[in-house]
Amino acid sequence: MSKPSDLVQGTLDMLLLKILALEPMNGFAVSQRLKQVSGDVLQVSDGSLYPALHKLEQEGWITAEWKTSEYGRRAKYYSLTRLGRRQLEKEADNWGRLSSATSRVIKLKEA
Amino acid sequence: MRPEHWLYTIPLRLRSLLRSAQQDQELDDELRDHVERKTQEYVAQGMAQAEARRRARLDLGGIEQTKERCRDARRVNWIQDFVQDLHYGVRTLRKSLGFTAIAVLTLALGIGANTAIFSVVNAIYLSPLPYPNASKIYVVSRIGNQYGGESISPAIFAAWREQQAGAFEHLALLHWAGAATLTGFGDPLQVPTLGISVDFLAMLGVHPALGRDFAPEEGAAGGPNVVMLGNSLWRMQFGADPNVVGRSITLDDKPYTIIAVLPAGFEDPSFSSPHAQLWFPVRIPATTTDVGNGGLLCLGMLKRDVSIAQAEASLTLSLSALRDKYPKMFMPGERAHLIPLRQLLNAWAGTAPLLLFGAVGLVLLIACANVASLTLARSATRQREMAVRRAMGAGRERIVRQLLTESVLLAVLGGAIGVAACYASFQFIIAVVPKDLTHVGAYQIDAAVLGFAFALSIVTGIVFGLVPALGTSRVDLNNSLKESRAQSGAGHSGRMRSALASGELAISLVLIVGAALALESFARLTGVNPGFDSSNVLTFSVQLTTARYASPVSRAAFLDQALARLSALPGTEEAATISILPLTGGADILFSLVGGNGSVPPGEPLAANIRVVSPDYFHALRIPLVRGRVFTASDNSAGPPVVVIDETMAKKFWPGKDPVGQEIWIGKPMGPEHADPTPRQIIGVVGDVRESSLAENGGQTMFIPYAQTKFNNFASFIVRTRHPPMLSLPDARSTLRSLDANLPLLGPETMDSVVADSLSGWRFHAILLGAFGALALLIAAIGVYGVISYSVAQRTHEIGVRMTLGAQRGDVMRLVIGQGALLAGVGILVGVGAAFGLTRLMASMLYGVKPTDPLTFSAVAVLLTLSALLACYIPTQRAMHVDPMVALKYE
Repeated sequence: MSKPSDLVQGTLDMLLLKILALEPMNGFAVSQRLKQVSGDVLQVSDGSLYPALHKLEQEGWITAEWKTSEYGRRAKYYSLTRLGRRQLEKEADNWGRLSSATSRVIKLKEA
Repeated sequence: MRPEHWLYTIPLRLRSLLRSAQQDQELDDELRDHVERKTQEYVAQGMAQAEARRRARLDLGGIEQTKERCRDARRVNWIQDFVQDLHYGVRTLRKSLGFTAIAVLTLALGIGANTAIFSVVNAIYLSPLPYPNASKIYVVSRIGNQYGGESISPAIFAAWREQQAGAFEHLALLHWAGAATLTGFGDPLQVPTLGISVDFLAMLGVHPALGRDFAPEEGAAGGPNVVMLGNSLWRMQFGADPNVVGRSITLDDKPYTIIAVLPAGFEDPSFSSPHAQLWFPVRIPATTTDVGNGGLLCLGMLKRDVSIAQAEASLTLSLSALRDKYPKMFMPGERAHLIPLRQLLNAWAGTAPLLLFGAVGLVLLIACANVASLTLARSATRQREMAVRRAMGAGRERIVRQLLTESVLLAVLGGAIGVAACYASFQFIIAVVPKDLTHVGAYQIDAAVLGFAFALSIVTGIVFGLVPALGTSRVDLNNSLKESRAQSGAGHSGRMRSALASGELAISLVLIVGAALALESFARLTGVNPGFDSSNVLTFSVQLTTARYASPVSRAAFLDQALARLSALPGTEEAATISILPLTGGADILFSLVGGNGSVPPGEPLAANIRVVSPDYFHALRIPLVRGRVFTASDNSAGPPVVVIDETMAKKFWPGKDPVGQEIWIGKPMGPEHADPTPRQIIGVVGDVRESSLAENGGQTMFIPYAQTKFNNFASFIVRTRHPPMLSLPDARSTLRSLDANLPLLGPETMDSVVADSLSGWRFHAILLGAFGALALLIAAIGVYGVISYSVAQRTHEIGVRMTLGAQRGDVMRLVIGQGALLAGVGILVGVGAAFGLTRLMASMLYGVKPTDPLTFSAVAVLLTLSALLACYIPTQRAMHVDPMVALKYE
């Protein structure tokens, strides 16, 4: 299982912001969605997910709301704030530049 | 971080800090919800319930650990850091109690003194005027006239009021009306009063606390007798009776109806001294021809779209019209002048309190330098501690923050003690402030003063803490950790401390020069001959305004009787009266020379001071007769009108000639209301008396007998006694009571204290500047001592080596003294330069000495040099007695 420290610094934040940008959801759903969309490649342990969510909330990038879930239980739903959306754009931008630069380096033909 | 970001996160962080219990509960719910869902998912995949739950918990990596990491993510770092720093700071300061005590005490002196002076400055310049419209009110006066000052005459006001429709929303009037005698409440009481025009309160935006404002008809001539009470009079004399409005009281024997009580604090701005407690409507007939200076202050509120220049131009037109009517009473260049009300009150207060505030700020600066120096010395010994902290991962910024927390903590402690000391001694401090100093608010330690003290403490902490903190945080890890003794960085901080000590000496030199100049002025003034002998003289006053004293003759008769009985008292040597005591101000009046004097044509208006006296006045105060004769009992209403003048007046108007026998007409240029009915003959010339203050050559004064004027309703008695003057007061009091039981005896004091009171402003400056200078010198000397003795301690080894190599004690002494002398020399040079530039600011506070008096400057420089050398004495002794063997072994 890959730990978040294996991810490039800040990548987990970006992934979480991106997932929450699509629709507000609770922590459990976020972990499911992460697994689905990354095809199990990016596995984030549940133990790392929650501190990361709390950190994003503290930064003001996401906000949480208690709602009654489809199971009739009270659950904490996270959604993106305006600030978070801006942060996501910034990080996605950085990420785009970083990954294209990295792949250009990787694709260099060996002399 | 963007401010917008803070907007978001600060509430979040506050919530984390304040609502941690609820947050914990929510965290618990959230994670439990997760575990349940996960368990359901595993069960759906075919797992047994218990196993599914175990797996779900396992995935979370331990619920408690995850919770802790979530809490970590939420931790509000800087606040918790601050609390940690505070704890640590308290611990560190407690460990070095000596340092803490000295630093806190130094800062307490500095901050306490600043707080005290600020409370005065606040009351004078910063307290808001207690009038809602204060910012829109202007003082309307004229400039370019022969009187100076802001007061105007009734005729000018009447003319201006006609003009008002154009430029002013309101044009109101304040009249310094003297005092009224309130009877019917036990002892008769003399109450200071002011007259105000009926729209005065409306213009200020002030509403009475009880009752109503003046009605327009109450301002018309012949209107009803109505009065408003000041709040403190209402409390003291009327027991704060809520039903006082409508009651009738007796003032100067006439019944007045109380129509209102003014709000508390309304009387605070000192338009008059003492503060008025009764307010009458002032009545100016539209047809007045009184162009003399009537003791009126005109205040105006401009219409919305009228500029100051427009208003001045329109009022200047009225002045020109008046000049056509009374050509002798108005100067050709005379024009109307508007200044904000606040500016007038500030001008009355003068700039001396601001200068004192600047001086006390310098004291604090010295205290800061001293504590910074102490902190630097201490930081040298804390290098290892800082190195360890750096090695453990603390960032430089983090260390600076921690050190600043310590210094601010010191400053706040010092500030708290300073404010407490200020609070405890506040009555004493206020007692030094001259009573007649114009102020707008009350002298008190209020929220503004406390806020100032707190802000000052924080700033102080940062000022003296920042440089040492930056220096200390810049540690060289390798060297500091390796070194056995705390010596690294000593070179840098040593130079820094020497510079600080020089700076302290420079600033204290400025302060001491200022103090010396003020003290010298004070000393010179106390040596000034006031022109009379004040020893063994009792004085007290009466105001003869009741119906019984309606005529000038009845007033003169009362004074004759009173003087006869006072003279007969066993302790009395002589008794006399005068309308205004010497040294307490002037009363200018215009007069003309009946025959002219060659250069001044007959009838030309001239100004001089006037005093109404009893015949024995000059003898009772030992004022010498220069020529002619003084008054006798026969200079009464039956005799020919006479006047005595002083030497200055004689020299000014009859240079080289004998004025005795000349005739002057007092009040003639001011119109019939003020003029004597006939001219007076000059019968004598007396020595000059300082009439308004010791600092001014009062001169140019005319004296007339009370039996020959209608302006004899106020008299101050002069009783020369054979024993300490106050012993005669009970007899004097009963004498007056036997003549008129309803006449209050006012302001009894000795003539010596009148002289002392006239110096109260000078004494205030001298005492404060002297105290600041002494404080500065003490702190600076401690600073020099600290630097030199620390340097000696650091160089013990070096001194040991030098002595082993043959250096004599004299050499060692020169080494240490040399360092001190260099430090003092630099400080004194810089200080002399700064003082040279700064002392001219206090020119108005000086008497008989120039701001750059060379003697004072050199004396102070010598004093500072000696103090610096004295501060070096103990360290030098220590250095000279270094035992080379011990010093070398120690290393």
